[in-house]
Amino acid sequence: MSRRHAKPKGFGYYFSRVVLLGLFLFGGKMYGPQLWEYYNKPPKLPIDEILAQSPLKDKKFASTVQIIATDKLKAYFMEEHSNPIVSVDFRFEHAGEANEPEDKGGITTILAEMLTAGAGKWNERQFKDLCAEHGIKIGFAASLDDFTGHLQFPRQYQQTAVALFQAVIKQPHFNDDYLQTVQQQMLMMQKLQQERPEKVLMNKYKEFIFAGHPYERNPLGTAESVSSITRNDLEDFRQQYLAQDNLIISIAGDLTTKEAATLLQNLFQNLPEKSMGEKLQPLDLTSDGTEYPIERKNAQAIAQFSAAGTFRNNVDFYPLYMANYIFGESGLNARLNKVIREDNGLTYGIYTYLSITDAAAQIRGGFSATPENFAAAKDLLYAEWRRLAQEGISQQELDAAKKSLLASYNLRFAAIDDIAAMLTMMQKFKLGADFLDKRNDYITEVSLLEVNAAAKKYFNNLPDIVYIGAITSEDKK
Amino acid sequence: MIRQQMNKLVLGALLVVFLIQPAAADLFKATEFTLSNGMRGVVVENHKAPIIKHMVWYQVGAVDETPEQFGLAHLLEHLMFRGTTRVENGEFNRIINELGAESNAFTGYDVTAYHQFADIKQLEALMALEADRMQNLNLTQQDFDSEQKIVFQERKQVVENNPAAAFNERFSMMLHGNSRYGRPIGGFDADIKGLTLAQAQQFYRQFYAPNNAILVLSGDIDAPTAQQLAEKYYGIVSPKNITRAEPDEKFTPFAADLTMALPNIQAPKIIDKYLLPNYRQLSGNVYAYAVLAEYLGGGETSALYRDLVLEQKVAVGVSVDFHFVTRGNSVFSVSMLPAEDISPVEARELLYAAVTKAMSGLTTEKLKQTQRKMTADLVYVNDNPEDAAYWIGTMLSNGFNLSDIENYAANIEKINLKDVQAAYRAVMQASKTSGTLLPENYQAPAPRQTVSNGGKNEQKTR
Repeated sequence: MSRRHAKPKGFGYYFSRVVLLGLFLFGGKMYGPQLWEYYNKPPKLPIDEILAQSPLKDKKFASTVQIIATDKLKAYFMEEHSNPIVSVDFRFEHAGEANEPEDKGGITTILAEMLTAGAGKWNERQFKDLCAEHGIKIGFAASLDDFTGHLQFPRQYQQTAVALFQAVIKQPHFNDDYLQTVQQQMLMMQKLQQERPEKVLMNKYKEFIFAGHPYERNPLGTAESVSSITRNDLEDFRQQYLAQDNLIISIAGDLTTKEAATLLQNLFQNLPEKSMGEKLQPLDLTSDGTEYPIERKNAQAIAQFSAAGTFRNNVDFYPLYMANYIFGESGLNARLNKVIREDNGLTYGIYTYLSITDAAAQIRGGFSATPENFAAAKDLLYAEWRRLAQEGISQQELDAAKKSLLASYNLRFAAIDDIAAMLTMMQKFKLGADFLDKRNDYITEVSLLEVNAAAKKYFNNLPDIVYIGAITSEDKK
Repeated sequence: MIRQQMNKLVLGALLVVFLIQPAAADLFKATEFTLSNGMRGVVVENHKAPIIKHMVWYQVGAVDETPEQFGLAHLLEHLMFRGTTRVENGEFNRIINELGAESNAFTGYDVTAYHQFADIKQLEALMALEADRMQNLNLTQQDFDSEQKIVFQERKQVVENNPAAAFNERFSMMLHGNSRYGRPIGGFDADIKGLTLAQAQQFYRQFYAPNNAILVLSGDIDAPTAQQLAEKYYGIVSPKNITRAEPDEKFTPFAADLTMALPNIQAPKIIDKYLLPNYRQLSGNVYAYAVLAEYLGGGETSALYRDLVLEQKVAVGVSVDFHFVTRGNSVFSVSMLPAEDISPVEARELLYAAVTKAMSGLTTEKLKQTQRKMTADLVYVNDNPEDAAYWIGTMLSNGFNLSDIENYAANIEKINLKDVQAAYRAVMQASKTSGTLLPENYQAPAPRQTVSNGGKNEQKTR
């Protein structure tokens, strides 16, 4: 039981200890209104006692992760029969936006749209009607590093779902007329990016922080690159980058192990063996507090800041994770929100998180504040950043953070598609099929010494910061 | 009603179908109860993972504010995180974090909801905290001042940083006229700045009580335990005498136009909204409008998307939506993002030509296909326990019955061609606000030389 939630003691206890002591020391002085208020104040809500008597006890989600395999492919699988649905999550590694040929910027986003626009014996209308009428979801997306996809279907329509999906993998149409529509949409999206200050900021952030690296590019490409993309380009990219050797697959839901293995066998046929994609070399992202202001008139200035972090399998990962959790990732209870939002009302919210991509391990964060508040919010961010590096965190903060992260463990099992996506990330980060069994130990075992060493190492340099709307051209005049 | 409209042959065929098929299963198989103090509760059992969504929906929102209180319901929602006589300021967020719970709240025109998502073993602590702030809110001037500033920043971030915000707010005022539904939920700058601590305390005392709240529990708990715990924590809170006026949204029929050119807008957008009676006045036909919206503009398999975006390529996006889960008037909206070489005037002509064409091409078979699309995804709603909680909470707190939700699939499926056609006629006769958002110094492009099919030759609707 924590001290703060100690059970309120009875009147007799206080009378004997406090009042008699007070009488002895101060005579009658303590019989003032303060004491009166003290006794009339309702007792603190005894959270620990409420939980201790609750019949709702600790249960751990039965999360057995199996490895299933065909002769060429393997997948992580979690059997879950609560609902008659199946979710498949997969990604082709090193086939994302950063791997696009330089003059074909935007091709992965276009490919994602084109794959479901007619395949095999179905044209675009037939394909999408069949999906919509049966609750079958087939979709693709480009991420920075990988080309990702998912398939979800109600168990009773498995046959239709598999047939549709096989057609996408074997024989997408890449219809020219539909390609024209997608290109038209991409060009419009490029324009619309300029409407929203947060999108302008993100593009500028990439240009400044990842200068000279493929990560600096606009994920939607340029007007020229998008207009130049042809059916053949899509076909080439598909053949070169969507292969067996860079494919990670996860399955979760209403299947037996045997059924899951059969599904795996059926879904990913006819893929080339080898992909052209290569993992990008890690970037040196050491920050030095550089500021990159962008002029624009906004209701609020918006900032995106970052410093070098660490990769997922580095020994520093969990210590840094805990330090950052306490600093900026634990919502309204995080240090940054408490100081900048709750106490000073300077922003609607400020956050940080550990961002890990193939080439960039970062501590990243953001906030927005009206121009007159912006400098004050930024100064408080810097002050808290330095305080974390210099003083670290307390044992009490670490204990609370551990408690929080252990208590929220089961929330990751809310939705079957989230479970499948999690299994994919476990494979991408090479955490092992037994990661879920070990995760709570990883949290428990982090020591205060390790966290504070990580805080000192990673929060030593101030972050670089890119912001938009704090100054306008009118201010300059 | 609907069956009566059918001829006997069809009725006979339907009855046979009904006899041989089991009755459609309830969507959530939820359990309802009412506590001794009048608080309502709903439980949806979902035993997949040991987790729970805990929500309390107060039947109070922006529409309950008087003009000098605009923004108060939302500011009070923020203040509810600031401490009670039993939980000091800052402690609520600290405890929630230690419980590993995700916690938030939101304010609408008609409702205010507080919710957490957590491990099932934490539920009693969450209920104790929520029941505590239902009755013991204890605000200082300092907390109020900080939270007023945060709410001001929220408006700047969430609303005003969007370059279309000024358009959206003015559009809403034209559509809803003097009604509270026509003003932003959180109020304008001056509204927020004019609010006082005393007003917040008074609003809290007036509307926050168990008999004005609905508890929704969705997750790993059985209904009897849920009810027992609800009684233990919420059942002991004293009820209040609460009177809530029905939203007053009388209007005289009108047709209005709003065109605005705003900085940072890069491409024209058009949006038309039609004001219709609320769902009670529309009776069972409310679902006919939902089916109509889905058929016309529900995603990339819809009639308008296929015609305007895929075939004619005169738009890059089109969408139709029917908003009816509100105590106020329902709203039918049609919006379109024209292709670069199509002017807004031309776009609107093409849009309504396509609507007319879609309606004349609507057959029973196409209608059934739309209905299948609308019900096919229901298989997923019992997956994530959060989905059931939001759906049920939204509908119940706006005055729907649990049976309306449980029978959702049947409500959609029973709509026939005549219902949808009647809904369409009603929309076209309803009061309409036409909106056009333009870039500054916008120059309309020259009309297209060729249009890929005969859309332009169709008769205009309006």
